[in-house]
Amino acid sequence: MTPSAHPSLYVAPSLEDALNALAERGADGAPLAGGTWIMRAPLRHEAKSPAFVGLGRVAGFGRIEVHDDHVIIGAGVTHARLAEALRDIPDLQGLAAAAGRSANPAVRRAATVGGNLCTAGFAAADLVPALLCLEAEVEIASRAGVQRLSLEAFLAARATLEPGRLLTQVHALRSSARSAHARLPLRKAGDYPVAILSMAVMRDDAGRVVRARVAVGSVEAVARRWPALEAALTGPPLDAASAERAATDLAGEFDGREGVDAPGWYRVAVLPALARRAVAALL
Amino acid sequence: MPTDMTVNGEARTSARDPLTPLIDVLRDEFHLTGAKPVCREGFCGACTVLVDGEPTVSCLTPVAMAGDCDVVTIEGLSSCGLTDIQSRLEQGDAVQCGMCFPGMVMTLSHFLAHTPQPNRDEVRAALTGNICRCTGYERIVEAALAVAGGRAEGRR
Repeated sequence: MTPSAHPSLYVAPSLEDALNALAERGADGAPLAGGTWIMRAPLRHEAKSPAFVGLGRVAGFGRIEVHDDHVIIGAGVTHARLAEALRDIPDLQGLAAAAGRSANPAVRRAATVGGNLCTAGFAAADLVPALLCLEAEVEIASRAGVQRLSLEAFLAARATLEPGRLLTQVHALRSSARSAHARLPLRKAGDYPVAILSMAVMRDDAGRVVRARVAVGSVEAVARRWPALEAALTGPPLDAASAERAATDLAGEFDGREGVDAPGWYRVAVLPALARRAVAALL
Repeated sequence: MPTDMTVNGEARTSARDPLTPLIDVLRDEFHLTGAKPVCREGFCGACTVLVDGEPTVSCLTPVAMAGDCDVVTIEGLSSCGLTDIQSRLEQGDAVQCGMCFPGMVMTLSHFLAHTPQPNRDEVRAALTGNICRCTGYERIVEAALAVAGGRAEGRR
């Protein structure tokens, strides 16, 4: 491989500078935020990109804005900061739990929202299903301008985005819904979750579910919504045992990924229990 | 491109490649061998140092990201003998093989500074990212609680 003309890591001081640096590096370049995935590339027997552009000092990347109807989260916000900022916001408890229970404290202080969403090889990313339930959108910047995509569209396109593009922030909707995040690591904490189920549920005054959003992570290669379970939950009052039964009936829709931590069938088999736990957290 | 930083109160410059893990710069270039590279995955915590006051897994931190930062390793934690948590760990005979202890001490020092009166569950949660291969967790947790207990005694 021909050595890159650029340093292995350039720490950009601003968004404009980061976009210029990524454009100059083209296919050789890649953004580096917290580094918690990229720095482990040798352990996965993967080659690192030749010329990273560090984002840790980009002004504005660390901002969190909580508005009445939406929240804006900068791509450089760490899991620890996100969990702290959302701690007392009822409708965002699913996202707060996703940020606050992932990995371990030191990794949560380094790993960023942008890194979690952009790492196509990381199936067990906690924030992805939590943000899918909040119908999040992402902003992608390049020297040509800013593009806004639904998170689902971004997940489908992220591995093939042209060089020079950068996820800069996330917009998530707020509502009267309540949200929860259920995950199953092999140990009580610190491990990647075998499976993740996030849920956001809106109920009427009688307690009946008028809208449900459910997303599953870590079971397949990319997290996705679970529309059939959403439909099954909508209408009657929320009930943990009913949710578990519905999830049992519908879990065959998933094709669990094989991994050293767990076989594919096991990831699917635990989904009903996670559905029960998520609902129980909302009652 | 050289990376300037402050390490244990001294201005230092690393000449290593900017993507080099900070742990390797600390150990191989600055000869500060307290922090240990064990898992290199951010899971075990043996490489934990303070970067601008925050416990940081130095195995996953490119040295360039520590540029212009204040880095404190176990060697620089105290200029006047053992700290409270170090003394309690020694008195409680908590140290076994010692591999995890530089990281344990850095994590607990930060935790106890920010959580003066923790309960047992909070101590255990704080140590989620610090693995003791000798499995000597109970004495470590007891030492942290003893520091907190000692503070409470001092206020009476």
